Amino acid sequence: MKKGFYTLVFLFAVLIGQAQKREITGTVTNKTTGEKLEGVNIVVDKSKSGTSTKKDGTFTISVKPSKVTLIFSSIGFATQMLQIDKNTNEVNVQMVPSISDNAEVVVIGYGTQRRGDVTGAITKFKDDKLDEAPVVRLDQALQGKIAGVQIQNLSSEAGAPPKVTVRGISSIYAGASPLVVVDGQPVPDGLAYVNMADVESVEILKDAASAAIYGSRGASGVILITTKAGKSEKAKYVFKYSIGAKQDYKRYDVFTSTEYLNNLYYEASLKAQDPSVPTPTEATIATNNERSGYVIENALFGGKGTNWQDQALRTGMFQNILLSVSGGKSDVKYYISGGYQKDQGLMRNSEYDRFNVRTRIDVNLTSKVKLVVNINPSYSRRESPSINYTTFVRYQSFLPVKHNAATLGLVGQNPQWSTLNVGDFAQPRHFNNLYYAGYMPNGSYWDPGGLSDAFNSSTNSPSSILNNTLIENKEYRLQSSADLTIKLFKGLDFKSLSTMYINKSNGLNWSNRNAEADGLVSRGVFTDNMFVDLLSEQTLTYNKVVKDHNFNVLAGFTVQTTKTKKDQVTGLDFPSDNIRTYNNASIIDKASTFGSTNTVALISYLGRVNYNYKSKYLISASFRTDGSSYFGPGNKWGTFPSVSAGWAMDKEKFMNKVKWISKLKWRASYGVSGNNRILDFGFLDLLYTSNYAFGSGTGNVNTGQSTSSTIRSNKDITWESTFQANYGMDLSILKGRLGITVDYYNSKTDKLLLQQATVAYSGVPASWNNIGSLKNTGIELQLNSINVTKRNFKWSTAANISHTQNKILELGQESFLLNEGERNELYLNKVGLPLIQFYGYKTDGIWLSQTEIDAAQANGLSSQLSNVFVPGQLKLVDINGDNVIDIKDRTVLGSPYPDFTWGVTNTITYNQFDLSFTFQGVQGGSLINGDPNYDDVKKLVRNYNTNRYISPLFPGDGKTPNYNKAAFNWLLTDYVIEDASYYALREINLGYKFPDDKIKFAKISSLRLYLSAQNLYFHTAKGYRGINPESRITSGPYGSALVGGYQRGSFPIPQTFVFGVDLNF
Amino acid sequence: MKKLSLYFIASIIALTSCNKMIDVYPSSNLYDQAFYQNTSDVEKALTGCYNGMQKPLYNEWEVTELRSDNTLMGSPTSGSSDNREFSDLDMFMPATSHSGMYDYWLNTYYNIYNVNKVMSNLEVNYHQEDGSITYDSISIPVTLQDRKRLSSQASFIRAYHYFNLVRLFGGVFLIDKPVSPAEAKYINRSSVDEIYKLIIADLQNTIDNGATANYNAINPNDFGRANSWAAKAMMAKVYLTLNRKTDAIALLQDVISNSGYGLQATYSNVFSTNNEMNNEIMFAVRYKSGKVGLGSPFANLFAPSGSGQAIVNGDGKGYNYPAKELFRKTQGGYDTLVDKRDDFNMSIYFGKIYVKKYISNLIYENDGENDWPVIRYADVLLMLAEAQGFTPNSVALINQIKTRAGLLPLTNITTEAAFEKALSDERRWEFAFENQRWFDLVRFKTTTNSIDPIAVLKNHFSNMYSTHYAQYPQPLSLIELQNLITPEKLLLPIPQREIDINTTIIIPQNPGY
Repeated sequence: MKKGFYTLVFLFAVLIGQAQKREITGTVTNKTTGEKLEGVNIVVDKSKSGTSTKKDGTFTISVKPSKVTLIFSSIGFATQMLQIDKNTNEVNVQMVPSISDNAEVVVIGYGTQRRGDVTGAITKFKDDKLDEAPVVRLDQALQGKIAGVQIQNLSSEAGAPPKVTVRGISSIYAGASPLVVVDGQPVPDGLAYVNMADVESVEILKDAASAAIYGSRGASGVILITTKAGKSEKAKYVFKYSIGAKQDYKRYDVFTSTEYLNNLYYEASLKAQDPSVPTPTEATIATNNERSGYVIENALFGGKGTNWQDQALRTGMFQNILLSVSGGKSDVKYYISGGYQKDQGLMRNSEYDRFNVRTRIDVNLTSKVKLVVNINPSYSRRESPSINYTTFVRYQSFLPVKHNAATLGLVGQNPQWSTLNVGDFAQPRHFNNLYYAGYMPNGSYWDPGGLSDAFNSSTNSPSSILNNTLIENKEYRLQSSADLTIKLFKGLDFKSLSTMYINKSNGLNWSNRNAEADGLVSRGVFTDNMFVDLLSEQTLTYNKVVKDHNFNVLAGFTVQTTKTKKDQVTGLDFPSDNIRTYNNASIIDKASTFGSTNTVALISYLGRVNYNYKSKYLISASFRTDGSSYFGPGNKWGTFPSVSAGWAMDKEKFMNKVKWISKLKWRASYGVSGNNRILDFGFLDLLYTSNYAFGSGTGNVNTGQSTSSTIRSNKDITWESTFQANYGMDLSILKGRLGITVDYYNSKTDKLLLQQATVAYSGVPASWNNIGSLKNTGIELQLNSINVTKRNFKWSTAANISHTQNKILELGQESFLLNEGERNELYLNKVGLPLIQFYGYKTDGIWLSQTEIDAAQANGLSSQLSNVFVPGQLKLVDINGDNVIDIKDRTVLGSPYPDFTWGVTNTITYNQFDLSFTFQGVQGGSLINGDPNYDDVKKLVRNYNTNRYISPLFPGDGKTPNYNKAAFNWLLTDYVIEDASYYALREINLGYKFPDDKIKFAKISSLRLYLSAQNLYFHTAKGYRGINPESRITSGPYGSALVGGYQRGSFPIPQTFVFGVDLNF
Repeated sequence: MKKLSLYFIASIIALTSCNKMIDVYPSSNLYDQAFYQNTSDVEKALTGCYNGMQKPLYNEWEVTELRSDNTLMGSPTSGSSDNREFSDLDMFMPATSHSGMYDYWLNTYYNIYNVNKVMSNLEVNYHQEDGSITYDSISIPVTLQDRKRLSSQASFIRAYHYFNLVRLFGGVFLIDKPVSPAEAKYINRSSVDEIYKLIIADLQNTIDNGATANYNAINPNDFGRANSWAAKAMMAKVYLTLNRKTDAIALLQDVISNSGYGLQATYSNVFSTNNEMNNEIMFAVRYKSGKVGLGSPFANLFAPSGSGQAIVNGDGKGYNYPAKELFRKTQGGYDTLVDKRDDFNMSIYFGKIYVKKYISNLIYENDGENDWPVIRYADVLLMLAEAQGFTPNSVALINQIKTRAGLLPLTNITTEAAFEKALSDERRWEFAFENQRWFDLVRFKTTTNSIDPIAVLKNHFSNMYSTHYAQYPQPLSLIELQNLITPEKLLLPIPQREIDINTTIIIPQNPGY
């Protein structure tokens, strides 16, 4: 700042010092309203001198006596350049209100609309630096930037999709992710594939009225991605390159085998001081396994074992290259880009590579016929680790990664392992059945007098497995479209769009011989999937202006078919680990070899009328009818209407007096949208091969058929429908310096599609159902503020905050449902409450002593549950006060839904420097931390050990149970319910743009260098004991939206640093 | 413009034909709603029911052998969740949400659904009021002969499942026709008697309508199918369990005299993979190696963990670890001759005893050939001895089994208690790891005068305490351990999930849980 100030003073001095000057004076007014404008910047071209208008709109500026050009600029107005000959000394300038309202165009379903005429809740996101975030996926780059859109990184694996939710949960089946439409083409994996540098804008249709035009697929919101098109100008080349690296933000703090045993001995020494408990004997302090591990670690590795987390993690590389050329001549415009992105996960064997080519050509065939062709081939390869990070975390440190001479000397005593070599992976079983003896931490000598096991496991070490397996998937993808727009006559356009999307993927899941365990043959699972989606869309649009009445009418029909083919072949026992084609397999494993084909079709009729009077009163209505093959006879068709209205109050005459308001619009909408995302043929019970061997000898295989053992069909399932009302306001004040958009919505989803848990004695654990309804209400606030607009210092802020709340209104005939997760933890879905409630026992610290238990039992407290009364274990609360702790004492312990989510992005430019940074956070909501339910984690991860109970005299913090005790198994208690709130400095980007005159010589039109970083700071809530509050398990039972909010063995948050170059010529 | 109107016409034609596009049916699977058209279809569904018997067996050892005095959880110091769940069952403190128990329950009811599908498509219906099974009018072209042939086998499978369920859980949910999940929510538990009524009706259907050919006349292609003789042997066990000894004796004598089934010359021959479906196997759940999706997992499940490929390719899991007291070789001094069954059933790897019975030379992991015997002729002989009680003939029956095992015959049995002890022991050695011991122990409570399962189990805890139960980190005392076994704990709890999920009716839990 100071420097800038001195620069100005200096310049001023120079100007004053210059001889021969003339002064130009004048007044600047608003062309539309006639109002005098203050603060309009006026600069003399090709110099650095300038001024701005005063309160009354007048200005004075000194210029050279010769001919000059003045540049007038102000927020909210089009910049004007004015040539002034040497004789003119007074000019009056009328500024034309430029932007947003009248010029800005918003992409909506099947068309575009002027921003000012929009009546639904649509957020447009446009950012030239979108691609500079050190992430590979568009959805990751949008995190924290759009109100009402929650983006959660469930996994930190390279290329892994985050969970995107628009306006909370409108559907409870897992398919509740928004529909993604790229340039008019619904593309299931659009967010994963589009190259961020090719993105012109992203529009999110949030309310049902805007999404209803997408009918049966719009209930979870619609994300429209528009890619860049060429402009009529000479060829413009863009080269972008960035490179960086990522590391883990935080790891688990774990005990080594030595630290672990030291702690046990330390605790035993405390216990020995407590007269109320028996003095621990040597035999009870630690098990022979634990002692053997301690002996190995100390005898062979000097007390320092393997850091298994180091074996799992690495510094991952990040690289992004883009080259594009765009331009055009009057009738032909082109945009061609090629991109390559490489993202290495933090975890070894986690890799993602992607090549994209995008070609877009816009041709005016005649003055009436326009053709747009889009061709977008891409290729990606994703490699995933075959073993979880959590396995490394809880692996015992005494085990070396590979054998050395010393370890071979030890394990070679067992003839079974005498043929191992130095450098072979060390496996747990190698260290079993040996004679271990040695000094313990308290100096005593331990000699079990026989063989003991150190680590009884038949599975190979995680590093060994990781190195001997490969999980890769290659996708070959072609997304293409052609549309022809014909102007039939004035105002009436016919558009025919045909799109084709092909995705062929080849997967290989390979294990070397003996990869996971000893004596296994090599195994290759070869998958070959084909996905072809064809869409044909015919629409007519009619624009008519009658005086001040503006009409826009749309009608159309679309037909979409999706063909899928999936084949999987599993081969076993290959001649070599390097021969990986299934013709070389010695045998095909029939149980995991199969194929399937399917065709899904969707037929739709759609229509919409937009009407406005002077862009002041706005009305829109739309409808869509969808016929979907997903549903059974009689349930195939659904209708999705919507209406919306807006009032641009600022255009009323009486508002002219309210000077501080430059824009004020009220909006209201109501619409219906649907969700058809459901498994194929949910209305039929498919039969599966279920053979059996009959006959003498070893029998012959006879063909059999059985129904699914996991889910039962329901012939009546049909659309899920969301009815949503939205009320919004767009306000712009202080001459457009502060923009505020507020939306309130209220929605009800009926006929919820879900996999309902069913009693197992019906033969299956779940069935498809269509019961119940769910209510969502929410409020979203988006602020855009231009804080400083000095000529060489600009600062703007975009902030958003949203709150959403859901409630079950009805569950068919049920008053509630209870669902189990992987550890039998329970999730309650109850009418009148939010969708998911964690359901279990409340605790009141831990039992501090047997005496305390005896006293409680003497007072009549009892329980049939196993191991409820153990000193040092959680004390369950008798909620209903009947003195019996049983299932009736289970209660609601929390829910996964945050109170609000927010994001703030600041963008600052100072001279040639630019800086932007985004804070993003989630406040409220809980998660179930599954880690403290795992014995190995409880044992080794320090977070779950600190201040734990030792004995009545040393009760720790009175809250942390001692895992090393018989204790009840798998009951959900509030001990594992933790606050999931966080905030993070998600993204920071610092750039320097070279001054034009410095780079002119190289024929470069612009050159910018930048540094960007992701997750520089991540703050988690007090009481959260994991390492990544965003992580969630989504597979298995968590595939259902009735079960969620559970994390276990979460993966570290990646912290990424990137350096980039952005070159235009 | 002309071209354009052609385009419109074409589009409209395309559109009208579109409606057919959304009438899509599966192209890579058959589906139940349109499946049952003829005998061959029902035959395929029945084959699926046989296949469905494999799944519950995966967990059956957990709820039977592990809870009996035969086996233990292998690694007291292990903190793994699997091992912890095994310990909970072994020590009679399973959570009502125990996953192994639930899987057994779910997979059993899944196959009962499959069987009910076959029965209802054959229009062979059970009537709960009078316990009868009727052949009602049918719309698909299946002959009465075929309906009897097919339903008699389905009945056997259903009876087998319910017999296991009622013995493990008590009065379970009586589902005798395919019910929808919505209908199921209105069905509460039935009484033990009602379940047995169905079991007896089903087995009677197999006895009356199943194949009656003498073993030597069985069509070789039918080996593995349930026939009338298997049903008679099974029915005898049902009667024995209900303490209807006279009814049992009649059936057993019929089997001995007329079935053509008999004892194999040696114990190992019974289980040899080169001699499957021999004349001692009256019914077995069959497995088949060769990666056809029918391999047996038990070699890998039961081999010791960490043994590499020394015992079985792909290493073992170390499940179902025999109690040391069972492997008399390690105890010493029980008999001058060695029981051949012990060496066949068990072996030792670095001091760890493991179940060898189902380990054959397997090339691929979880791909064993060994069938799982459900009922065999040796059982018929010993059931007859049990039904007859302490008689010279009963002692002779036991001796047939004993001598085959290479042991000396019993000579000095003088009291009923000694006889019952001998019978109990003989069954324990003979059917070790065939998931019989638990049911035997519980049944002895009524069929014998001197054997009390609770006493046997307490004694087992005491025998194994120092070498096993005392090895747990911070172990329970022997008294605490013994107190865990109560008469109520002889039944398993109804899985908690059923009680939680059914919000329509209240399902009573078994007492003690």
